[in-house]
Amino acid sequence: MSSANGDQQPVKLSLPLKYQQELFQELRQKDELVIIARGLGLLRLVTNLLHSYDAAGNNLILVVGADERENGWIGEALAEHAAVSMAPRARGLSVVNTDVMSVGTREKMYAQGGIFSITSRILVVDLLTSLLNPETITGLVVLHADRIVATSLEAFILRIYRQKNKVGFLKAFSDNPEPFTTGFAPLSTMIRNLFLRNVSLWPRFQVVVAQALEGKKKAEVIELEVPMSDSMRDIQNAIMECVEVSIGELKKSNTGLEMEDWNVDSALHKQFDMVVRRQLDPVWHRVSWKTKQIVNDLTVLRGMLHTLLTYDAVSFNRHLDTILAAHSPPPGSTRQNQSPWLFLDAAHTIFDTAKRRVYTGKAQGDGQDIETLRPVLEEQPKWAVLAEVLDEIDRDLYFNPVVRDDSNGTILIMCTDTAQCRQLREYLQNMHVHPAQTDEEDADDEPSGAFMMKRKLLNYLKWKKEFAKISAALFAENQKELNGTGTTKPTNNNSYRGKAPANKRRRVRGGGNAGSGPTRAANGSILASEDRPLEVATLISEIQPTGAETAQKEDIVADPLDDMEDYYQLYDMQDLLVIHAYDGDMDEHVLEEVKPRYIIMYEPDTSFVRRVEVYRSSHNDRNVRVYFMYYGGSVEEQRYLSSVRREKDAFTKLIKEKSSMSVVMTLDAHGIEDPQEAFLRTINTRIAGGGRLAATAQPPRVVVDVREFRSSLPSLLHGRSMVIVPCMLTVGDYILSPNICIERKSIKDLISSFKDGRLYNQAETMQLHYKSPMLLIEFDQNKSFTLEPFADLSGSLSSMSASNASSDLQSKLVLLTLAFPRLRIIWSSSPYQTAEIFESLKTQEPEPDPIAAVKIGLEGGQRAEDQSFNREPQDMLRIVPGVTGKNMKNLVIEMGSLKEVANATVEELEPAVGKEAGRQIHRFFNKSVLDG
Amino acid sequence: QAIASRSTGSSILVSPRQKGNPILTNLRSFAWEYSDIPADYVLGLTTCALFLSLKYHRLHPEYIYNRIKSLQGKYNLRVLLTMVDIGNHEDSLKELSKTSLVNNVTVILCWSAAEAARYLELYKSYEHANASAIRGTESKGYAEKMVDFVTVPRSINKTDAVSLVSAFGSIRAAVNARPEEIAVVGGWGEKKVKRWSAVVDEPFRVRK
Repeated sequence: MSSANGDQQPVKLSLPLKYQQELFQELRQKDELVIIARGLGLLRLVTNLLHSYDAAGNNLILVVGADERENGWIGEALAEHAAVSMAPRARGLSVVNTDVMSVGTREKMYAQGGIFSITSRILVVDLLTSLLNPETITGLVVLHADRIVATSLEAFILRIYRQKNKVGFLKAFSDNPEPFTTGFAPLSTMIRNLFLRNVSLWPRFQVVVAQALEGKKKAEVIELEVPMSDSMRDIQNAIMECVEVSIGELKKSNTGLEMEDWNVDSALHKQFDMVVRRQLDPVWHRVSWKTKQIVNDLTVLRGMLHTLLTYDAVSFNRHLDTILAAHSPPPGSTRQNQSPWLFLDAAHTIFDTAKRRVYTGKAQGDGQDIETLRPVLEEQPKWAVLAEVLDEIDRDLYFNPVVRDDSNGTILIMCTDTAQCRQLREYLQNMHVHPAQTDEEDADDEPSGAFMMKRKLLNYLKWKKEFAKISAALFAENQKELNGTGTTKPTNNNSYRGKAPANKRRRVRGGGNAGSGPTRAANGSILASEDRPLEVATLISEIQPTGAETAQKEDIVADPLDDMEDYYQLYDMQDLLVIHAYDGDMDEHVLEEVKPRYIIMYEPDTSFVRRVEVYRSSHNDRNVRVYFMYYGGSVEEQRYLSSVRREKDAFTKLIKEKSSMSVVMTLDAHGIEDPQEAFLRTINTRIAGGGRLAATAQPPRVVVDVREFRSSLPSLLHGRSMVIVPCMLTVGDYILSPNICIERKSIKDLISSFKDGRLYNQAETMQLHYKSPMLLIEFDQNKSFTLEPFADLSGSLSSMSASNASSDLQSKLVLLTLAFPRLRIIWSSSPYQTAEIFESLKTQEPEPDPIAAVKIGLEGGQRAEDQSFNREPQDMLRIVPGVTGKNMKNLVIEMGSLKEVANATVEELEPAVGKEAGRQIHRFFNKSVLDG
Repeated sequence: QAIASRSTGSSILVSPRQKGNPILTNLRSFAWEYSDIPADYVLGLTTCALFLSLKYHRLHPEYIYNRIKSLQGKYNLRVLLTMVDIGNHEDSLKELSKTSLVNNVTVILCWSAAEAARYLELYKSYEHANASAIRGTESKGYAEKMVDFVTVPRSINKTDAVSLVSAFGSIRAAVNARPEEIAVVGGWGEKKVKRWSAVVDEPFRVRK
């Protein structure tokens, strides 16, 4: 703990390392953009900074761009700081994140001051409506500065802020250097967007950082390269082949695609499907659905690469089964609609090898004759290594009994996600339980996952039987599968519950995703619960393929809660083995709380390595040994290496650009108006009938629906010095004049709103209430400005058959214009262009009246506030059969949420939607896929 | 030469002015005939179209206004079929947007003669069609609807939908499932589980 002098009073900080202190002092002195390497404790820096202001009191500071978890972190940290430094004036963080908080409350809160984290969409509305006067703001802290582009909401906020407030501070942070390196002079552009002049770069290789982390207190790291098993390598190669073919297919149909540098190695790279997507994005609305399908396939394949390494053999096989079922073509379709990779030999290799990792023998007929099968149950290679490492730690603990230090004796295992956590926990719990009749737990036994795998296999076999039915029912193709199995069981999801986390575990702070492992006795053996041997026995008799598959095995792990007291107790930290998933900045908390002596990184993660470094260097007396595991030659390894390399490259580039960057001297927001322009605009040039030249003092005004603030258009309109009036609109998105109402659709929206009929309804109501309803079709700035599909145009043109023709965008536009001849269509190639068009449409039109605009479309008794809907649940509701545009309104008002609708009986639904629709809705939700 | 009566209706009427327009060679699936009409194309009793190439418009900006005037307020739906054949189309399109508002024409953009021809054919073929295709009332099977339903929240894909519903037996059970239960379904990572549970529980209306 060091203390730095704040403005008025000393504040206690928790920045132990030298680079952190330096950076903090720098930040106190000037406004700048800080780009720091991942894992170096960005949030800690931010909270310390905020606290130093908070402790001073009497200020209004806004945090922009923080997500939910960061809010949680900052809030907690501020409260903690306030307690530590006993700052009487500190008020902690107030979070404003939904529309739930009423306008009045917000106004009061702003008046009180303090530190606020506000969702951008709300903040921009509050600034525009002067609910929050920009001049009263002491300063702005921007997180995730890398996400800010000229058209983003955050940039809009900064512009409003800087226009009205020239003295407040402004500090921006990012720990993601890569986005700053793409494009032309990206850094200086970014700085301009942020209204800042200085950049401060803190890569891992910066001298001060390196000194701080590579001093005497270095963490001990042991690297373990685990070879993949042969079958895993086979599968990985096969997947790569599929990827290669898919990309080849893409290249064939999309000549513009730049995939020259493509090779198998780059497939190992983290997000090759993203690369493809990004390349296709400008023309996404024009590519054929075949291309879209292949791009989706790429995502699936990439997912497979990942699950191959993380899932155990049985789960992986099950996952593949699901993928296969979901990709099976609908009945009556031709080979052409199927994903191309499924036809490859490689695909066969994938499925076949995956199955052979689980069991061999005759291919499964109808799921009943398991007799002919022999389980193989290949274990993940890392498991054995993990067991070895744990063993070594035990010995280490035994032979060098505790160098007493500040850390707990805890062992921390880190892995990528919670599913992985669960798998490891299960493995560690069961690794000394043997399927052979030796029920004793022997510490000398070779640890193995055989028991666990058998159980998984059992579950899998049962699941498979059911799943065959389900997929048959869903994709009603192979009915004969159904006939074979006879009666169907009632909904049986216990096989899944069997794997649900046991309730007997100590609660670990930091969220439900922390699976604290089993307890370990001093000798390292796993203490399983007492009833285990018996279960093992019953299970073993059952895994023997006796064919008696009818017995219930669901209660293997299912935990009767009635014996809670017997199991529930606090364990000593020293005996604890904590398994946790990587969780960004939250990992810092985990380290601080668990204080582990040993850390096993089950999967590589760049930022976590740094976090451990920071953790180790921050504490003099905490020794840490890190085991670092990865599969050699795997996607995982490549991903790790490339992420390190890319970050380094990005920083190198940034440093170069910074050195040659021209300094922007003006801090003025470019929204500041040219006075000449302002004057000219006020003159009404319409001198009809010899009228006199009249000057109107009113600047042009546009009423904008608050939901539209997600898009960049309001910001650009504001940039063209129009007054934006945010309102809750029922009809239309933008109201330009009492007559002109505009519904904005991006291409993506356009497609989806045609599909579910939303646009039709919107056009209907607009036509009803406004003289000139308009549909704005807005293309993205970078997207190609055309609706024309690629090469296959000639083919689709000649076939004017009804089924084919009605599916594409053009034909739907035609239908729309035929249905609404008064609806005008505005085509705009970018939001910038739209802003110009709006300006020209508005000339010679009277200004719109916000109050009238809000009232339009409301039925008697409705208030504007009632009209704010959550979009996603409604979109889902619209898909439900029986729900129409008309009865949906009732449904939404009568029922609270989707859950309520799903659980409603026909009788309950009837008053809202009527009998027939009610029955349809009920049937949709309650149809059991098991009954077929 | 006798001019065919306008009420035949089965063919697209084309003004002789359009002679030589490459669109005509692309009009293949509908019969068309020359006719003395004020518009360029007549696509039904109440629908007509004017054709405009932006290249031409830039040279003769007054042309299109004269043509619109010559329509004399006839026709219910007046389409201004605009071919975008220049690079910097922004100013022209801005102007046309304004025009469409003032003069009651609906601007439809196309980027090639083939596409233009396709629009004409579509207008003709949908002359008597109802709008059910864009009212979202298409009938689909349960499986498709189910997949559509589950995949509305972002990042949830088809595979996830199938595995979710098959794990719980019905959509209702899937809606009611607790997050921990969903998390054990293959492919359902934290983010998806969180999104799904949030959406399902989220009230339709934001209450103040």
